[in-house]
Amino acid sequence: MADEAKKKEILEKLRNGVIQYDEDTCKEAAQEALDAGLDANEAIFDGLVSGMEEVGRLFEAQEYFVPEILMCADALYAGLDILKPHCKQMDIGVKGAVVIGTVEGDVHDIGKNLVKMMFDVAGFTVYDLGRDVPLDKFVEEQLKTDSELVCLSAMMTTSMVGMPKVIEKIKEKNPNCMIMIGGAPTSKELADKWGADGYAEDASNALKEAIKMVSFLKKLRDEKAARQQ
Amino acid sequence: MNSRERVLKLFKGEQVDRVPCFSGMGNVTEEGIKKLEYKFAAIHLDAEMMAKTAASTYKLFGFECGVVPVDLCVEAEAMGCVINVYPHAEGILYPTIKEKLIHNENEMDIAIPPDLAARGRVPLLKEAIKLLKEDIGNEVAVGSYVLGPFTLAGQIMELNDLLKLSFKKADKVAKLLDVMADAIIIVAKEYESAGVDFITVREMGATSDVLSPRVFKNLILPPLQKIIKELKAYSVLHICGKTNDIVTFMMEAKPTAISVEQKNDVVETRKKLGNDALIFGNYDPYNVLVSGTEDLVRSTIRKCIDDGVSAIWPGCDIWPTVPPQNMTAMMDETKKYGGKK
Repeated sequence: MADEAKKKEILEKLRNGVIQYDEDTCKEAAQEALDAGLDANEAIFDGLVSGMEEVGRLFEAQEYFVPEILMCADALYAGLDILKPHCKQMDIGVKGAVVIGTVEGDVHDIGKNLVKMMFDVAGFTVYDLGRDVPLDKFVEEQLKTDSELVCLSAMMTTSMVGMPKVIEKIKEKNPNCMIMIGGAPTSKELADKWGADGYAEDASNALKEAIKMVSFLKKLRDEKAARQQ
Repeated sequence: MNSRERVLKLFKGEQVDRVPCFSGMGNVTEEGIKKLEYKFAAIHLDAEMMAKTAASTYKLFGFECGVVPVDLCVEAEAMGCVINVYPHAEGILYPTIKEKLIHNENEMDIAIPPDLAARGRVPLLKEAIKLLKEDIGNEVAVGSYVLGPFTLAGQIMELNDLLKLSFKKADKVAKLLDVMADAIIIVAKEYESAGVDFITVREMGATSDVLSPRVFKNLILPPLQKIIKELKAYSVLHICGKTNDIVTFMMEAKPTAISVEQKNDVVETRKKLGNDALIFGNYDPYNVLVSGTEDLVRSTIRKCIDDGVSAIWPGCDIWPTVPPQNMTAMMDETKKYGGKK
């Protein structure tokens, strides 16, 4: 085990690498973490994700905008790619698979990709269908993979209206599957009306929702660790 | 005063009897398409069908304009992108870009095809404008729209890359946006020669939900100024999403009017821009007009007027499945309440 001071320094470097959208720093710090014998999950959650949490805050404070977030996401992935092969399967009672995509008629995928990133971070198996995805494809893929979660994204009002059809079809075949919808024109009212389990109205909210979810996983993990001590 | 006179007087800055209710963006309705027995995917590819569909919103509901095109892909297609109109879709799907022109940062140095005005559907649009004018041009103002340079660039290359580069390599993006502006001017000139009364420049991608006001001012505003300076028709600059922090920059582009959506606090905007500025907006065309009740439509229209809009104008394209009774309620409430302020 690495000594505490060194560990703190590496985690801080990972965190700052994400916040300052510095891919090289993230890569370097990820390698240092492995060399120093840090737990890869810990490096991801307390380094990279912690940085992304701060990015979410900066976005909310309107200090960061979408270009910065995209660059931070690149930095996070640079670190994640190195750390992920060394992750132990997280045993926190939550594991899962998610089907995610932008619905047919819509070629916007920034919000979708940010949400996907947080699922990647959390160790989910992600089936990314991409963008402009025919509605039936979501249903097929969910059945094929038996995923616990399906995320539908639409940036334009004009493409959002396909969502209730997918939700209905999936829920009909698999009532336990959770469905999250996202994109500028969606709202809590629409999510409720269409029978979706969650919603996020834009990339930042999607990021926030996903961070919330991953932070929750992190909390579970910490609690479990505390219990074991 | 008929609808045409009302809208043109408003653009001229003259007194009108009440606020008009119109749009410079898509406003075709399923009701209109059904009556004409058209398929949605077909109206983008046929000048007559496009013009008749565009006229139907006025004919059925008295909506005070005629606007073509219906989709957002005309300029990108003329530049060389491949579009998808979803010919087999059962419901309504708007065309999207299937194939981009620029695939990576190194391909950003593009030139405008010399015959741009003759490419893609630009000639079809000219024809549609002429037909639309012949049909209802004496009764309503006829409009068209072009994309803003940043939004068009986001169709021509990966939006993801464009956004990052607008931060990392602003010079490169500025150069591309200048080319986009020149292309947009060429298309807009064609629409003007066909006789449009007004042109809306839709710079949806440059909202403050996405870009900082600083980037807007440095990068987006100059090409917008370039475009609007070249327009002879009345111009409306539309930006979606949060816009309160950039309305003064929008005015610096010197359009005849600005158009904002429901996320804009119009009371605030009116205070900032003064009584003479033309501010169009700002109701939610989906959550109010499509899924709202008639009462919600009426109260929203009254609120827009109380807040100080110069015209009742949707925040985005009107979604075609709008219930006819809501269109009627919107027109009726505008007529009843729109002269009181």
